[in-house]
Amino acid sequence: MVASLTKRFGDLDIAEESAAEAFAIAIERWPADGVPPNPGAWLTTTANRKAIDRIRREYKRDDKQKEAQMLYDDDPPEPLGAIDDERLRLIFTCCHPALAMETRMALTLRMVGGLTVPEIAHAFLVQETTMGQRITRAKAKIKAARIPYRVPSAEDLPARVTGVLAVLFLVFNEGYLATGPDTDPVRHDLTAEAIRLTRLIRILLPHDGEVAGLLALMLLTEARHTARVSASGELVPLAEQDRGAWDPALIAEGHRLVRERLASGVAPGRYQILAAINAVHTSAPDVRDTDWSQVVALYDQLVRVDPSPIVAMNRAIAVAELDGPEVALAAIDRLDGPLAGYHAYHATRADLLRRLGRSRQSRAAYDRAIELAGNTAETAYLTRRRDQLA
Amino acid sequence: MQYLVSVIDDKTNSATPGELDATDAFNEGLVAEGHWIFAGGLSAPATATVIDSRGGEAVLTDGPFLESKEYLGGFWILEAPDLDVALKLAAAGSKACNRRVEVRPFL
Repeated sequence: MVASLTKRFGDLDIAEESAAEAFAIAIERWPADGVPPNPGAWLTTTANRKAIDRIRREYKRDDKQKEAQMLYDDDPPEPLGAIDDERLRLIFTCCHPALAMETRMALTLRMVGGLTVPEIAHAFLVQETTMGQRITRAKAKIKAARIPYRVPSAEDLPARVTGVLAVLFLVFNEGYLATGPDTDPVRHDLTAEAIRLTRLIRILLPHDGEVAGLLALMLLTEARHTARVSASGELVPLAEQDRGAWDPALIAEGHRLVRERLASGVAPGRYQILAAINAVHTSAPDVRDTDWSQVVALYDQLVRVDPSPIVAMNRAIAVAELDGPEVALAAIDRLDGPLAGYHAYHATRADLLRRLGRSRQSRAAYDRAIELAGNTAETAYLTRRRDQLA
Repeated sequence: MQYLVSVIDDKTNSATPGELDATDAFNEGLVAEGHWIFAGGLSAPATATVIDSRGGEAVLTDGPFLESKEYLGGFWILEAPDLDVALKLAAAGSKACNRRVEVRPFL
């Protein structure tokens, strides 16, 4: 409804406030008057009238009044399918590249996901007032700079979809490995919202391989979330997880998407390859059944698409299973420059050194990883591993 | 809708002949497509004079109001229907003059 109002009135604030007003009137009237035969249409009509009232109040001038009246009268009621189109427009506006990445994430959760400002503030560990200001500033910029409310043109679409997916992936990751000393290790609200929004994009852009890939990746990751944190609140690495606790429905759906992309014959992008890697892991009933050569082959493919040091690090982790920890450590040590400040780099190194019996160096690497880790369950796991060293 | 596209520079009048040619070609395109309002390059910040008449009398101060390593070297004022169009034009402008630019909407 906010999306449809935004389209009609070109103003996020008016859209949000009118929608809220319509709901408030419904809560007041429906218990006494009864629920109208088409509640959705009732709310939309009420919100439209409230928006026009608002515009009239804001602009007393005649021309603005006429403009608002024209907007209202000339716009026939839209078919149901149009709501999704409008939501898509809203997502592209919220994820506009002229907005800072953290602003895009916050705005998407607020405007598309419908989360409250306190909820978003909590998710990003900032003060409510700070988050409120960030969202207000973003809305002001959208209005003042006239960030268009539309789906980008075909030539711009691939780059803009990539931008939207990056926002959703960051929201998901923030939920899956939440940072902060007093935060739950897995923020299920964020992972669920990221999945819901990616599903929506998938409905709207069913032929986009990377959209399907990201959805599959999220589902196959989410499927493992109950096995990922132990009863004592420690992070459980993939190799040690109780695979019986994985969610078979999510895994089946993720595998279906991966198969669909493989059948398409189109060269996969980053998310599709990551999803395929996760499909290999979730296909193994026991960690010993993992097809590591397939995992390494997929990482080789990923390195070609995304030659970042983090991908090289994750490839080395798979190489350790195939060619042994010594080969993997040599590859990891080459990444010391770019990844020196990344906790997972030191945790990976610590594990490889431990497996090679180099306890003293392993301990030092665990110390560094613990120092840098922001997730409570991960810190607990790393600490135990370190303290188990001879 | 009008946008100010500021050219950010740390030297004055430093454009190479190639950059000037590319900028001229870009400007011709702006005129042809109806985006052109105005554009120009500016002399060095040291040539500026700040005037303050708030107290009644005009008080003149030699130099720019803000000393900074980088400054406004020139600008375009463009007409564009929305930010996406303005950003595309600015991207082409940045390439033509080979400088960073900033896009800012008029009120």
